[in-house]
Amino acid sequence: MDPAPLPFGERDPDPELGVPVPFACTTSYAEAARAAPSIRQLDHRRVTQCALSRVCGVCGSPLGRPIAFVGSPAEADRNAFHFPPCHLECAQALLDAVAPVDVAVLGQPETVDAWVLTTTAAFEYVRPSLEDADRRPTFEPYEVLTSTR
Amino acid sequence: MAIADVKEYTHLTEEEVEQIGRELDAIRTEIEESRGAADAAYINRLIRIQRGLAAAGRVTLAVGTQSKKTRKPAWVAGAALLGLAKILENMEIGHNVMHGQWDWMNDPEIHSSNWEWDTAQPAEQWKHSHNYVHHQFTNVLGYDNDIGYGILRMAREQKWHPANIGQPVYNAMLATLFQWGVALHDLDIERIRKREKDPKEMKRQLRQILRKGRNQILKDYVVYPALSGRNWKATITANATANLARNLWSYVIIFCGHFPDGAMHFTEEELEDETRSEWYLRQILGAANFEGGPLLHILSGNLGFQIEHHLYPDLPSNRYAEIAVKVRALCDKYDIPYTVGPLHRQYGQALRTIIKLSLPNHMTSSDDPAPPQRSDTANEPSLDRRRKSDEERPPRRVELGAWTRSAGERSHD
Ligand SMILES: [Zn+2]
Repeated sequence: MDPAPLPFGERDPDPELGVPVPFACTTSYAEAARAAPSIRQLDHRRVTQCALSRVCGVCGSPLGRPIAFVGSPAEADRNAFHFPPCHLECAQALLDAVAPVDVAVLGQPETVDAWVLTTTAAFEYVRPSLEDADRRPTFEPYEVLTSTR
Repeated sequence: MAIADVKEYTHLTEEEVEQIGRELDAIRTEIEESRGAADAAYINRLIRIQRGLAAAGRVTLAVGTQSKKTRKPAWVAGAALLGLAKILENMEIGHNVMHGQWDWMNDPEIHSSNWEWDTAQPAEQWKHSHNYVHHQFTNVLGYDNDIGYGILRMAREQKWHPANIGQPVYNAMLATLFQWGVALHDLDIERIRKREKDPKEMKRQLRQILRKGRNQILKDYVVYPALSGRNWKATITANATANLARNLWSYVIIFCGHFPDGAMHFTEEELEDETRSEWYLRQILGAANFEGGPLLHILSGNLGFQIEHHLYPDLPSNRYAEIAVKVRALCDKYDIPYTVGPLHRQYGQALRTIIKLSLPNHMTSSDDPAPPQRSDTANEPSLDRRRKSDEERPPRRVELGAWTRSAGERSHD
């Protein structure tokens, strides 16, 4: 189902963790659409949609400037994020909401203790290659403007 | 053909496909590392020129039509300048800015997030229907709505319907009203019909289209004509002519990108775990280039380098010409089909497909592409190149287009 964009605070909460489910975690598959939304995993079609349509991974409406990325310190160090680009305000609201959650969320392999918020003007969407152990696409910010941990 | 068959079709081993991917990555890195002030100067200059042309066109129409003596030449010059400005804005500026080609400049205006273009479709919907749906699912039947824009049957795999007989007429209408066809494109009637679109989203999109369409109409058919005083009629017809010229031109360029013979269509299998290298390969096989001088390329938004645009949709368009030299050499090295020809021939083939496919498959011959012949297998028994009927061909190996290789390029005569 193609949903209309919706601000983070108005989105359906994850029934297990109580946190609103960002756009990139909602499913694009008709057959799975009736399952309960979860913030644990990313939906890879939604991720690609955000990357190419240039919409926010949190609220689903067109990106602004700067473009924000949220991720683990390891992702920031590699300059390769899995969660799609966001509005700065959306990224902040998302991190405020997931900070107290102590399970792995937003497609992370493990619990993230200290989230990183990076801003940039541009990014590259990198599709996985055969030799990648993690076969998910990543986002490489071009020229990090700010990075807060 | 099925995406899973691409490797076999091109006679490439998995390792070769990955090697091609690495070489294409290297071309990307090279451009990214050399991207800078000269590129920024190019887009800034082009935007200045485009705005100058638009202003000159508007002024010529408002002022030049006041006197009886200058009315006719002013109408012609005004319509031409405005048409040119609209073509540049849509093709080389708007389309490419919205792909994020210039985001790296961190310019507050020339950025994919902010650009709104001079055409009826809202930028947000274009970025969904074009940047995502078309570029991600390029030529995949059932996914890529650019295959015939929902009204034309463009692949033999698409089921024939008696309504297809009218294709030549629908095609002429699509070309004439192209900006309005594109404006409705992302509504995606098929998804609405299958209830795959939230009614709230449908209403939101409709409101956006109505608002943008209304503003476009107000601008070209109310505000500027009003500024021309009693000669408002001349301004209206000149503006309509400029819009029509832009419609026909962008339609031709877009149809040359994926419908000449040789540009292939795909069926869905294995789309899900496609690697970057396989994705690259599918982009090369699904797109077609056309040749021309620098001016033709600028006027067509550098989409004559459609293959390069599909490989690197977010690299600056002014670099596609130099990228094309490298991509073509790579394709020659690995015997990968690289479809290119003059603009008139590419469009002629697209038009022939539109006309042919208005009839059921059994009434027309199929343009059967022979798989590329690798030099290292040239001495092996030759493939059966006889034209097969649809019945003879295994269903998963049918594609559009015909080509034979000659001197590293496909010829379509
Ligand atoms: Zn947002």
